[in-house]
Amino acid sequence: MSTVTGTDRGRPGNDALAAKPDKRLHKKRPPVGAYVCIALLMLFFLFPLAYLANTALKSGTEFIQDPVGLVTHPQWGNFAEAWRLGDFGAFVANTALYTVAGASIGTFIALVMGFPVARGYIRFVKLWNALFVFVLFLPNALMTQFQLLLKLDLYDTRLGYILMVGVGVGIGPLLFTGFVKSLPRELDEAAALDGVGYWRYLFSFVFPLAKPALATIFILQAVWIWNEIILATVLFADSSKWPIAAGLNAFKGTYSTNWSLLAAATLIVAAPLMVGYVFIQKFLVNGVVGAVKG
Amino acid sequence: MASSFPFPHRTPVRSSFSVGLLILIVFAFIPAIAVVVVSFTDLKGLPGLPVHWIGWENYQDYFGKGHRADNLNAFKNTLIFAGLSTLAQIGLALLVALLLNRPLKGRDFYRSVVFMPTVLGVTVTALIWSLMFNTSGGPAHSVLALFNSDSAFFGDPKIALYLVIFVQVWMVMGVSVIIFLAGLQAIPDDLYEVANIDGASPWQRFRYITVPMLAPSITANVLLGIVTAMQSYQLTYVLTGADKKATQVLSLQVYQQSFGAKSGTTLVQSQGYAASISMVQFLLVGTITFLTLWYLRKREAKL
Repeated sequence: MSTVTGTDRGRPGNDALAAKPDKRLHKKRPPVGAYVCIALLMLFFLFPLAYLANTALKSGTEFIQDPVGLVTHPQWGNFAEAWRLGDFGAFVANTALYTVAGASIGTFIALVMGFPVARGYIRFVKLWNALFVFVLFLPNALMTQFQLLLKLDLYDTRLGYILMVGVGVGIGPLLFTGFVKSLPRELDEAAALDGVGYWRYLFSFVFPLAKPALATIFILQAVWIWNEIILATVLFADSSKWPIAAGLNAFKGTYSTNWSLLAAATLIVAAPLMVGYVFIQKFLVNGVVGAVKG
Repeated sequence: MASSFPFPHRTPVRSSFSVGLLILIVFAFIPAIAVVVVSFTDLKGLPGLPVHWIGWENYQDYFGKGHRADNLNAFKNTLIFAGLSTLAQIGLALLVALLLNRPLKGRDFYRSVVFMPTVLGVTVTALIWSLMFNTSGGPAHSVLALFNSDSAFFGDPKIALYLVIFVQVWMVMGVSVIIFLAGLQAIPDDLYEVANIDGASPWQRFRYITVPMLAPSITANVLLGIVTAMQSYQLTYVLTGADKKATQVLSLQVYQQSFGAKSGTTLVQSQGYAASISMVQFLLVGTITFLTLWYLRKREAKL
């Protein structure tokens, strides 16, 4: 092993191959080209955000005089102003409620339906699996969702909207059936033998074991819900019940010429998402990968 | 499947399963199936008006002369949007995934940055890019000014659709990158080592090892991309509004015919008519997904 003199640092899975004699292609020099590409890539994704922050700190006149230059007199007051004018406090509370409640409903559906289907504890397994695929392709049903909530007296209510986004389960049930197959069936039998009932088994055994998968399902649906604006504008007559994405869009309509205020408002919405992203990133990235393999 | 059931009673299984199923049926499947029914009626947006069964009239209307220009336009825009954004997304994502799969310093950070727009969401993304493309001297405007050129960006009907596609790719590319990275990591290193011994060029290694081994990820990405792109309209809605002809897609038409009070040339404001557009879209998405899947599976077998 020591004959290879560190020429192959950073090559993953190398130990298994170190015994092979052929190393002549491992000329190691710093991959300058790769880092240049990375720099361009980061610029492509981060420059818009930097420009947003820069604009958010400018005064209205400074933006008009020099829209692209670096900010000279940071106006922190823009954020307070945007917060006050946009009434974002209420919208943030709405979004938090819709996202948590909606994604909980969806995750619950994935759990109580996905588990028995994956195990074959319920009849017509094929039908249910087909149904889990069909939910991905449902037609655009804006008008019938609206009519249904009217009929149920749930139009312009928070409950109605939560139920509508809650059933937007997307890939959740499919993902969960895939996950359940990795849980050993013997566990069910052992628990049942010890006299554990089905519900207790599902909620105090499967639930903790499936936490990573359920967290992923929850987060994928949560992302979908906080992106949802059209359904919200259709199902609410009262705009004070809107989620923040719709609120921000309306704010854009009102203050479309005041770019620094608009940028401050956008940053107010974006900042908590970015902070949250740092924490949930692991689940999100794993989730997308799992969704494909499942 | 004759699976053994270890628990004493089946009732709890059935009851909790039924609760989930009931919520899904009432709030997801009933509206979805009702779209089919409504597409044969003259249902209006306002509640309380009488509803009549009008047979195929909505469909005749949709395919008739009166709406032909508008509908062809929306149909064409949907196909361009879905086709171009999927192609660009897959192509760029593959390049970025190959880059991020190399053992570079700070790799995890780069990956999170690429995925970040997915989390920021449509409204934030749309506002960021409206700002980038703002016509009163934004960055894009300044770059064009260097070449003594100018553009109305999202206000220019010739390029608005392509700019929306660009923003869409920026927003959703991270998902494809992550899927490709998962696929790339599943390729055994030995294959490349053997190819090196045989003196394969980088291109040959890419063409004869990476691409065939990545085929399932490519299939997943293309399908996901097409289905998402054909159904997505939130970004277009925020960037350009629902009623711009240049960026009108089928989903936006459904929204606008059902609820949009603003002027559209052939707006009839009938939810029945909107439902028929939704059905046309549903069939289009289904057909294209099916054809793509069939084609990609065939290719996977060949590779």
